[in-house]
Amino acid sequence: MMPSLKIPVAGMGLLCACGSDVSSAFDGALTGRAYFALPSARVSSTYTSKFPVFMVPPACCTGKPADVTYSQFFFIQAAKQAFAQAGITPQQLNAKRVGVVVGASVHPSFHCFEIYKNWKTGHFTAADVDGLYDYLASPLAQWISQYFGFSGPFQTVVTACAGGTDAVGLAKSWIETGLCDAVLCGGTDEISQSPYDGFIRLLVSTPQRCKPFSKNRTGINLGEGAAALLLTHPQLAKDLRLPCQGYVLGYGNAADGFHPTAPQPQGLGLQRAFAFAMRQAGLTSQDLAFVNVHGTASQANDLAEATACQAILPGVPVWGSKGVTGHTLGAAGAVEAVLSLQALKERMLPATVGFEEPDESLHLIPTTQNTPIVKRFAVSDSLAFGGCNAAVVLGASDAA
Amino acid sequence: MLPDLYVNGFACLKGDADAAQCAPYLDVRSLRRAEAVSKNALLCACQALEQARIPAQQRADTGISLAMGAGALSSTIKFMDSIIEDGDELSSPTAFANSVHNATAFLISSLLKITGPCLVTGQMDASFAGALLTAQQLLAQKMCPQVLVTAAEDVNPLLAQVLQKEPNRFDPYVYQPQLPPVRVAGALVVSAAPTDATQAVLKNITLARTDDTAAHTPPLPVSSCAHSVLLFADGLQTQKAFDLQEQFAGMIFALHGEPYVHP
Repeated sequence: MMPSLKIPVAGMGLLCACGSDVSSAFDGALTGRAYFALPSARVSSTYTSKFPVFMVPPACCTGKPADVTYSQFFFIQAAKQAFAQAGITPQQLNAKRVGVVVGASVHPSFHCFEIYKNWKTGHFTAADVDGLYDYLASPLAQWISQYFGFSGPFQTVVTACAGGTDAVGLAKSWIETGLCDAVLCGGTDEISQSPYDGFIRLLVSTPQRCKPFSKNRTGINLGEGAAALLLTHPQLAKDLRLPCQGYVLGYGNAADGFHPTAPQPQGLGLQRAFAFAMRQAGLTSQDLAFVNVHGTASQANDLAEATACQAILPGVPVWGSKGVTGHTLGAAGAVEAVLSLQALKERMLPATVGFEEPDESLHLIPTTQNTPIVKRFAVSDSLAFGGCNAAVVLGASDAA
Repeated sequence: MLPDLYVNGFACLKGDADAAQCAPYLDVRSLRRAEAVSKNALLCACQALEQARIPAQQRADTGISLAMGAGALSSTIKFMDSIIEDGDELSSPTAFANSVHNATAFLISSLLKITGPCLVTGQMDASFAGALLTAQQLLAQKMCPQVLVTAAEDVNPLLAQVLQKEPNRFDPYVYQPQLPPVRVAGALVVSAAPTDATQAVLKNITLARTDDTAAHTPPLPVSSCAHSVLLFADGLQTQKAFDLQEQFAGMIFALHGEPYVHP
């Protein structure tokens, strides 16, 4: 296979529990600082006194219009940061073929619980009818495309927790195959009743702060937020003299077909996703500075991922960032791709916040301290319900 | 470059799959816990793969590109019902697990032993178009030799009831609301080069956004991406060249299809 095109990232944006922009979020990753709180103001559940989550700080949510969902609002904030960093306005791209690819865990039906509850309990009002209309009229990527005035293709990728990684990978492919000149891509998700209760009822959430890859890990913490990346064709970047934050170099995806909610224990699907992405990038594991893993801190995830990393990326330092972001579901892959590009840019690999003691059965110890890095490439991966696995290969802006 | 899509198998289902229809392909006991929307997608997938003459032992590296406009609504509603009726602490983890779009993809992947790339598009009316675009990308990147494009749409009971009172309230997002809603599924096997089983070829697949949200496409009595699937089925079944063009709800989806003539 011939290595694919290096697709430049002109701008990035990020909003999550550890920061309201890329720089502050990466600082949160280095220091362990994050907004970890009980979501009682946003979710009405008997569990909200026990299970905290990683939330976008309330101060970052001021100004959210009532008819805009948190997922939409978060992504727009991240996308505006990406355009600002790229030094370009959406209007300047309007004459180009600009696509939008956004990952989310599911269609927004998950976030319509209050509307449904009002209908079910006989309290349905005209406002709920409006809400239902907004729900029908607002497929995420199409809504974002409309917000910025683009007219190219759009796609909401709903491969649950792998959606963000898939969105970045598809965006790369859209440019490489000539479908678009530029693609605004990323992922977004929000804390809401259904996933909050659902993960607790599946017995994978923990009331403690998560401990990825630790022997004493007790489960996941949900999170929320959004990450956006503006990808362009290399020629367009050159023509417009856009800055380069890094590159997307490879993308792989493979299914386990094993279990509805658990990964295949050896991570066989993830192994194939890793292998394809690396072949597409034309790299070997020796080229990598690190792999940013999904690292949810669930028993099953960490086992499958540790096995897959050792099989395909042996010896590559492993960094898990959910100890500062939480599991942001459909946003996770994009959040982690942006954090990974920033780590390459700042030449600093953060410690895996939350890791406490090695689990001998995993044969893997993630990063334990912030460490300078020299190599200029990294991998970021995601695993999802249904056995969907995805990985992207990223390069620093000065990667040869 | 984006490849044309060679259609090697196609199946469409309006209504729900029953056990007798599934029995030739699968042990129906494996479907006991599956939602109707997933079973419908699975049956269409089996029929399309059979037409494409891809035996079970050669399916593993097939890609899956699934379109679900609004997702697995029945499971989502079961889960929300369990929260409302039984309380958070007794809500159903099984219904939650089945409520993600991936649950349908998993059913196809696990029962048909398909472990190639797997992506799901969920964007209401534009989902089927998105799934076709994804199939093109998977083939262009040589991520798999063929893609099983599947679409499945569930019925939204909340929407159906509201429409009884306000039939025009959701125009243009819902069509002919006076008719009872029905589940629709479809599946096609596509490749970047023709095979012995190729029936048709799809060209110039386009999905774009427009500020014109009025409906320019004749309405059908279904909602969301089922609309595209039925229009596509109509075109393909003519066995003549056809142009599918949908424009409503702020999106334009178009493609050209023509029968494939084997040399």
